[in-house]
Amino acid sequence: MRLSLWPADALPVDAGPARAAPAAPATPLRTLTRRHAAGGRAGELWAGLHLPGINPEKLQQLAVCAQRFTPRVSPAPPDGLLLEVQGSLHLFAGVAGLRGALMSECLRLQVQPVLAFAPAALAALVVARAGKPLAVMDPAQLTGQLASLPLASLRWPPDTLARLARMGVRTIGAALRLPRAGFARRFGAAQLAMLDVLTGRTPEVRVTFHAPERFRRRRELSCELENHDLLLAALAPLFAALGAFLRARQCGVVELECRLTHRHVPATRCVVRLAAPATDVQRLAGLLGERLSALSLPEPVRACELCAAALVPHQPGSNGLWQPGEHGGSAGTEACGLIERLRARLGSEAVHGLTRLEAHRPEHAWAITEPPPAAGRRGALTGCSAAVPAAGRRPLWLLPAPQRLCVRDGLPRRRGPLRLVGEPERIETGWWDGGEIARDYYTAVDIHGVRLWIFRERAAPHGWFLHGVFG
Amino acid sequence: MGGDALTRLLEHPAIWRGRSAAHQRGLPTGFAALDAYLPGYGWPRTGLIEILVSRFGSGELYLLLPALAALTRAAAARWCVWVAPPLMPFAPALVSQGIVLDRVAVVGGARPLWALEQALGSGACDVALAWARQPKAREIRRLQLAAERGRTLGVLFRPRRAAREASAAVLRLSLQPITAGVRITLLKGRSAVRGAVDLLRPGWPA
Repeated sequence: MRLSLWPADALPVDAGPARAAPAAPATPLRTLTRRHAAGGRAGELWAGLHLPGINPEKLQQLAVCAQRFTPRVSPAPPDGLLLEVQGSLHLFAGVAGLRGALMSECLRLQVQPVLAFAPAALAALVVARAGKPLAVMDPAQLTGQLASLPLASLRWPPDTLARLARMGVRTIGAALRLPRAGFARRFGAAQLAMLDVLTGRTPEVRVTFHAPERFRRRRELSCELENHDLLLAALAPLFAALGAFLRARQCGVVELECRLTHRHVPATRCVVRLAAPATDVQRLAGLLGERLSALSLPEPVRACELCAAALVPHQPGSNGLWQPGEHGGSAGTEACGLIERLRARLGSEAVHGLTRLEAHRPEHAWAITEPPPAAGRRGALTGCSAAVPAAGRRPLWLLPAPQRLCVRDGLPRRRGPLRLVGEPERIETGWWDGGEIARDYYTAVDIHGVRLWIFRERAAPHGWFLHGVFG
Repeated sequence: MGGDALTRLLEHPAIWRGRSAAHQRGLPTGFAALDAYLPGYGWPRTGLIEILVSRFGSGELYLLLPALAALTRAAAARWCVWVAPPLMPFAPALVSQGIVLDRVAVVGGARPLWALEQALGSGACDVALAWARQPKAREIRRLQLAAERGRTLGVLFRPRRAAREASAAVLRLSLQPITAGVRITLLKGRSAVRGAVDLLRPGWPA
């Protein structure tokens, strides 16, 4: 608010901060002058990378990787990249550490940058373009450091630069010393505004880079492959790219699709679904390997493609102090890994959970659910929270469908006569949905001593059926 | 004199005697008679046990239910995995026995021994129950090692005739139904107790 009270033109124009500060009469004006004239928004530090001869794909790749250092990454096409790193300095042991980490990241991508630090974004870029790997930390020194740089690093139109050169203005410092009004009239307001941005006199708003939301990478194979192990080896660079992609975005995938292209027949799709978001590409590669080994390929593979559409923000949990099963250590990641391994080998319907439904008909009293979630810490359950069904005894095993028993003299038999024990229980319900049942359930003991749950239909044929086994 | 020499000899640290074995406190079975009968006063917490039954449904699951309920109700309960059960476990009956269905997973499919080994070795399960046809001695050894690796209790239900075969399981029980309960015979265990114990089911009409 205080900044806006003072129009920019009221401030000393041609003075650097060092000269402006003593000239200011009172304290408020002095602080205002310093902050306004030199330095960008308070507490910003920009890293500018000048990357001569980089192509757009590589610039984007570098921008994605640079998100490892800071969320505020801003490409300056065609050959510049800017990072706001004030908040990340302490994570990399200061400017020197950050410089080393950034340079090694660039070397990994095989680009040779010039890296400079400055409190204003454009200033960092211009210093880097001038080929000087400076680190200007103090906003007060920015103008002084910029003064000796050639004007050409600003990339103004050639005729503007030529006219300035004819006037003897070849450095940024010389341009800054020109009268503002005259400069704007002769060389354009845009150039004056750029100088203001350069010195941090007006703050610059830069667009933050957002990495693409989905991963899709294709690899053409040099020869056609049929062997699963060779296919996995061919997929390895794609997995490495996926790993870098996920690390940069701090995301995990829950579904990964691998598409194998053949010469004649349509492409083979192979989808890996995960119980929890995964970031570990080794694990993903292992699961895909399980999937591929169960797959029979119609033809040799010419190209493979890896797609991950649904990204989920990944929040790494803390590891437990105890091993699972030891002093109450619970299993979180192990449980997801187990489900994925079982599903990769046996099929997705092979693993499921159970749930109880509120219904009297035994067939409708349970259902299959998704596997239980990974064990989190919860309080121990005490007492019997789930109400015991008021109905009578239930068997531990239920047959998928009632099985007809043979009958002799009106009594059921199963490998010998069955002995009925206890009181019968009548279940007569379900008239509303057509699945009406009317049965009398008995407990029966067969000649081997196995207890069975059988029923007699109340309707006309009065058949006997086996419906469950008490385990 | 001769007795003194023998005592001194037996005090030698290189000599190990069976009854000095340290027992880990087991998982209470829920039946006092069975607890007193089993080594460690309960089911072992880690390792593979075998329950041999003459027929499916002779009361073998009933024997395990209190322990399963206690495991699934614990504060940091891991999973209770059922590998290739012959029939579908009936959820209302499990709930009425105190088992928390949140912790129960059923694995079907064609390869029960592989799935059991994965479940035992993963460390994600407190207990894994499996019904396998005819596992070989080598496979049982693998399962036992996997159970120790994952700190899991593995329970393998096998037919009674397997009692003749050698097994690497830490505990082997044979089970047969009697009029109002089950009779349990200890075939192998880390204790000197032998013989049989009868468990009666309360409220079980004869």
